[in-house]
Amino acid sequence: MGEEAPAGMSTAVIAPSRLEARARAGLPWLLLAVLALLPTAGLTPNIVRLLFITFVWVTSSLGWNLLGGFTGQVSFGFAVFYGLGAYTAALMIDRGVNPYLSFVAAGLVPAVAAFLIGLPTFRLRGPYFAIATIGVSEATRVIMNNLAITGGASGFRIMEHRPFRQVEHYYTALGVAALAVAASFLIAHSKFGMGLRAIKQDEEAAADLGVNPYAYKLAIHAVAAALTGIAGGVFARYAAFIYPQGVFAFQTSVYILLMPVIGGIGTVWGAVLGGVIFGIVEEQLVASFPQIHLLLYGGLLILIILAEPDGLVGLLGKLFRRLRTPRRNDGDTNSGGRKADQVLRRAGGG
Amino acid sequence: MPEQRIYGFIGPNGAGKTTLFSMIAGSLQPSAGRIRSRGRDVTGSRPFSLVKSGIARTHQIVCPFRAMTVLENVQVASHFGRKNITRTAAAREHAMQMLAKVGLENRADALAANISLGDQKRLELARALATDPELLLCDEICGGLSPTETRAMLDLLRQIRRQGTTIMYVEHDVKAIMAVCDRVMVLNYGQKLAEGEPQEIQNDPAVIEAYLGKAGSEKKGSRVA
Repeated sequence: MGEEAPAGMSTAVIAPSRLEARARAGLPWLLLAVLALLPTAGLTPNIVRLLFITFVWVTSSLGWNLLGGFTGQVSFGFAVFYGLGAYTAALMIDRGVNPYLSFVAAGLVPAVAAFLIGLPTFRLRGPYFAIATIGVSEATRVIMNNLAITGGASGFRIMEHRPFRQVEHYYTALGVAALAVAASFLIAHSKFGMGLRAIKQDEEAAADLGVNPYAYKLAIHAVAAALTGIAGGVFARYAAFIYPQGVFAFQTSVYILLMPVIGGIGTVWGAVLGGVIFGIVEEQLVASFPQIHLLLYGGLLILIILAEPDGLVGLLGKLFRRLRTPRRNDGDTNSGGRKADQVLRRAGGG
Repeated sequence: MPEQRIYGFIGPNGAGKTTLFSMIAGSLQPSAGRIRSRGRDVTGSRPFSLVKSGIARTHQIVCPFRAMTVLENVQVASHFGRKNITRTAAAREHAMQMLAKVGLENRADALAANISLGDQKRLELARALATDPELLLCDEICGGLSPTETRAMLDLLRQIRRQGTTIMYVEHDVKAIMAVCDRVMVLNYGQKLAEGEPQEIQNDPAVIEAYLGKAGSEKKGSRVA
């Protein structure tokens, strides 16, 4: 019954230009290929290390973005998952378990933790949820500070009975980051992702259309925690030494939240861009301004929220559109609305 | 309550019409009494599970997903309603059919925040329809619409009934209720005041008293009669 008309229209919805669409689809693969070949170009170990750390941050950023960006649940507690992943991998590798198997566990343990933490905290809404995550995060840090099998506050040193090859760590981190990008895109373009977007905008309305907000939040919290936990595990293996004041610190939670906000909350590439910038800049900032680098982040956060809530991706999108359509708003009454359309759509995620 | 009918609810402000709806749709829990659907007790079910058992509602105060397109708004309902469509393309197609039903297909790509109130009311209806309901709760779907828009909306409701959906309809506009309903219930202060065919209701002295007061001002009296 009337199949042609709707089908025709729905293709019109998603076909701005064939070439552009193809470029958009090809770009991630090109990027991946370049990054995969990069170590063969004779980079210094320091650059490889910097890229490695950047991939770890990108993965955490993408993880947080699933919950905070796609679903609109702002959590200040992702250090819990990063730290749990780090400690899970550390304990297993130290006991001679295959590191890649350990990374799987480094995803599973935080996922289970996220589910359990979500059971009570997702009964809360908005700022109350955010506050609860701070509490959970601090409690976890205190417990880890006093836990005997992990060495407590003095930290845990990982003895891996394998030769250290930096490039192996590089490829592991790159693969994990690629996995996070792929997972984000798959979720964004699925039924699951549509449910998350609906929850972000209006939980009651979403429920009236058949979405179960509580179950969906629990599920995405677990997925987000798994990605962040794997990132923590990969980091722990490289660092070979971890301690609660590092991986479980409130600061780590803030870093993980900050990246998607800088890059563009709710968009996949925004979270990636935020992670890249943070990964490259963070060390320099800490080295140059050891006392006030957190103040700088705070200032940056305020600046972004006030000036460009869509982050750098939102800003770039605006510039790009302005370049592409130089002088078209004369007499075109519709352009204002359309611009608002695009900005809002970006904010809506996807 | 009989099926495949339009069942109207009227009553003065604060009579409990919207509260009744919210209880049936699961957003509010009744403090006493049970709600039954086709013999099954659904008291206390959450809204999303009621949707799965075929009860959908539209809201008096429209609540579109503002940062989504009109099509995406309906797509959510196609995904998560009784049809439970998993594939994105299939859900979009189904959503497009629903938009065509309510006459919004040319606004499919617009952001829900940017369409007129009349269109947002239609969007509410399209979303509810996309969940494939057996019982549709319409809360003041004509509120704020022009007379022409109201007529078109009432035609839509008749069409939906013809296709086999039962409709419970709350509206302030008595004329609209009388024009479209098979049966009408009058509520006042949470109590049932009267029930019957539109004709009987219009002549019920208790109803006239509740609505117009004992004196019955001339202006409003002419509106009911």
